[in-house]
Amino acid sequence: MSESRQITVSKKGVPIIAIIALAVIFATGLFVVGFDQGHIFSLVYGEQAFTDLYIHELTHDMRHAAGFPCH
Amino acid sequence: MNTSLFLIIVLVSGAFAGLIHGVTNLAIVEPYLDQAIGMENQNMFASGEVDDTLEFWVEYEGYRTWQKSGQVLAGVILGVSIGSLFGIVFAMSRSSLPGRNNVKKALILAGIMWVTLYFIPFLKYPANPPTVGDAESVVLRAILYSSFIAISGIAAVGFYKVSKKFQNKKKILGLIGYVAFISLVFVIMPENPDKVTAPLNLVEGFRATSVLAVSSFWIAIAITLGILWNHFKPEREIATSN
Repeated sequence: MSESRQITVSKKGVPIIAIIALAVIFATGLFVVGFDQGHIFSLVYGEQAFTDLYIHELTHDMRHAAGFPCH
Repeated sequence: MNTSLFLIIVLVSGAFAGLIHGVTNLAIVEPYLDQAIGMENQNMFASGEVDDTLEFWVEYEGYRTWQKSGQVLAGVILGVSIGSLFGIVFAMSRSSLPGRNNVKKALILAGIMWVTLYFIPFLKYPANPPTVGDAESVVLRAILYSSFIAISGIAAVGFYKVSKKFQNKKKILGLIGYVAFISLVFVIMPENPDKVTAPLNLVEGFRATSVLAVSSFWIAIAITLGILWNHFKPEREIATSN
């Protein structure tokens, strides 16, 4: 007994869910590397995060090299 | 379009190009960063802000190791971030980009985005090494820099849409409009408020290598995404039925 299968190849636009996901990743990554001055860790550690500046120090060299204002 | 496949190739391309960016920075920009930070240390010793002691250098080596190794990780994070934007724009504009394959199309788009989102903003607000920049003005400088990038990017999209309404050679009016508009913005936007106090050869060397390293990212993201797109063809959605 033979079975026939139909393969349909369609081309559609860019899924909105993919655009939203990538836009969130874009904004978050840009803020982390380019602009965070303790803001993200302050959500957990409070004011101390603005003194410790862990993300700032981690991204320090890339921040300068990529052209972002660092300090 | 196959959503999962599209997301995976965009994120992988961004991470890989970011890795290239981070490693390139370590190779060519890092010596200028070390030189600039060395000058900062000497200034602090001279002013009496800190003492030139063994404890100072132990602490210094600790956080410089953290900063240097963080450069590669930050490169990957930034690569995934900018790569995400590149992926969105590429997917939405691929059919109207010139070029016979996706690598050429991606290279053309990367060139446009490099000019509008990086190089023109860089000409207005160039990268500076440590020792340049007052901490008090960092928020203002961040607002100025990100605003200029946003204005340039939005204007590029806007004038591209305008150019599509024209026929044949009149499409050049869109490019002329963008150049005129961004030139006006370039003149109107305030200057960087901080004076460059570091030696000129250090600042110029840092800026030149910074441009090369950022350019390596844009070339890498275009080639990687183009190759992966050619291979996996995420624009196709395959359904099977009996």
